[in-house]
Amino acid sequence: MRNVAIIGCGQTKHSSRRRDVNLAELVEEAVTNALVDAEMTMDEVNALVVGNMQGFGGVAQPEQWLGDWIGAPGKPVIRIATGGTTGGSVGQGGYYAVASGLYDVALAVAWEKHSDSREPGATMGLAHVGIANMFHAFNYGLSLKSLAATAGVGAAAGVAVYQARYYMHRSGCSIEHLDMVAAKARRNAAKNKYAHLQWPDCTPEDIAKTELIAYPFRYGHICPASDGASAIVFAEEKIAVKKAKQPAWIKGLASFSDEENQLQSENYGGVGVLDPSEQMGCRMSAKKAYKMAGITDPKKEIDLAEIYQPFPSQELLFAEKLGLFDEGKAWIAMEKGETDINGTIPTDLSGGVNATNAIGSSALQRILECALQIMGKAGEHQAPKKIRNAVAHGWGGNTNYITVTVLGDSPRR
Amino acid sequence: MEKQSEIIRVTGLPVAAGYNWSAGSQMEGFIKALAKKKIMGAKCSKCGYTYVPPRSRCGKCNAKIEDKDLVEISGKGSLVGYTTARVELDGAGNFQDLKKPKMIGAIKLEGSDSTIFMPIEGIDPKKAKEGMKVKVQWREKAKGELADIVCFKPEKS
Ligand SMILES: [Zn+2]
Repeated sequence: MRNVAIIGCGQTKHSSRRRDVNLAELVEEAVTNALVDAEMTMDEVNALVVGNMQGFGGVAQPEQWLGDWIGAPGKPVIRIATGGTTGGSVGQGGYYAVASGLYDVALAVAWEKHSDSREPGATMGLAHVGIANMFHAFNYGLSLKSLAATAGVGAAAGVAVYQARYYMHRSGCSIEHLDMVAAKARRNAAKNKYAHLQWPDCTPEDIAKTELIAYPFRYGHICPASDGASAIVFAEEKIAVKKAKQPAWIKGLASFSDEENQLQSENYGGVGVLDPSEQMGCRMSAKKAYKMAGITDPKKEIDLAEIYQPFPSQELLFAEKLGLFDEGKAWIAMEKGETDINGTIPTDLSGGVNATNAIGSSALQRILECALQIMGKAGEHQAPKKIRNAVAHGWGGNTNYITVTVLGDSPRR
Repeated sequence: MEKQSEIIRVTGLPVAAGYNWSAGSQMEGFIKALAKKKIMGAKCSKCGYTYVPPRSRCGKCNAKIEDKDLVEISGKGSLVGYTTARVELDGAGNFQDLKKPKMIGAIKLEGSDSTIFMPIEGIDPKKAKEGMKVKVQWREKAKGELADIVCFKPEKS
């Protein structure tokens, strides 16, 4: 496989309602920004990989609508939808298009326009996760009111609440640590001009004052539903070197699903494991991606992480599955400030999914944010230390599917 | 745009899927102009292709289309293609016979390169022909809704 680098990144501003633009116009904003960043025109792009959450926004084939807003006519277009990981898969698809030698420049585009669904949570699109939540309710005796609350607050809260509980039990992490992660996400978001929930100087105490929804999740722990889009330009080595002062090289990548699929788990009469915080798919993805990237000790070699964390417990548990901290120890490192902007492994300096969640786009933004940090283009939330290697994570599928992408400041040799 | 940091709180559990699509920046202007019985189009400043309704990005050459590229289009045009419906849906998923056939045509308005689909009245379907000249029939009191355009009729009638 030949070397591939990111040479341009574009995003829209994220907010609850972008009623000023339609879906095509929203996506076009991100694409335009990415092309401007790459100093390219659409004529130089050979292929497009696009995607959003299946069923969201009430358009069955959105790529057919917005294609001629983003310069797709006459070019191969593939739409990918893998649930919450859609953006991660779209980014990896962009990589494959170029790494395979089929195309020299590919554009990866991902988006969500939640406000086009009349009900919050894009009802029909989330039905698959909703069903899974219901089986949790039957098995553990969650009341209908709590179920409505967890389903209503967005994304896979009903599943994540159990996952958080398991993680806390195993690691000794407390609800106060979740407050700290959420406060960090909102503070970081305040330094990212594209982020949604921006709260400068947010403290864990501020988060602790928000109402409890279902233990251990408070209202202040939960991600928003955002309208927004992101786009990345991938190029082969010669073009990348010519076009970008510091390209962000894709060094390794992998994606695995595992038996925590909510529709195949014990809760559903399947054979899957019961502990939703196990996330074996993440360990497997990380192991394979690091090997491809030539990374033997992620604790030492990874300088920065962008973890898909709609819920604060996930930043902690996935940091461990990504090998950045020992099992059950991420919350201790977080408490010591090791995941802050000046820490050993700055994590989610963008504010992450916890502050901005245009679902289809969310996992692509993790790759995009790692690229910005490597390229030195993150602006106010740029890490002060030199970022040589960064890891981007995505969580989705039916709460079981993981994408891991390792980026670096030099190509794979 | 509303306040960007706002969170939308959830009330009640939805039981049916509903959608609430944004019309888009140019389409909103198009709908508002209907209240003044005006049809607006957009002429791409790069390749000259003219769209009705207007759009913000040229699908032909990918150029950005700005507000300054908006042009008023006459309500006159010609029939590019047509069909005649004899049944309609009753709202419950069933077909029902129409009392009289309904003609629907693709119309290319003067000064436009794209076509719009509209009901056609006052033409005997048996005598309809591509290229026939038609003109817009406005609702008496236009309200700034798509329904302000009732149908198209033969230009000489
Ligand atoms: Zn044009």
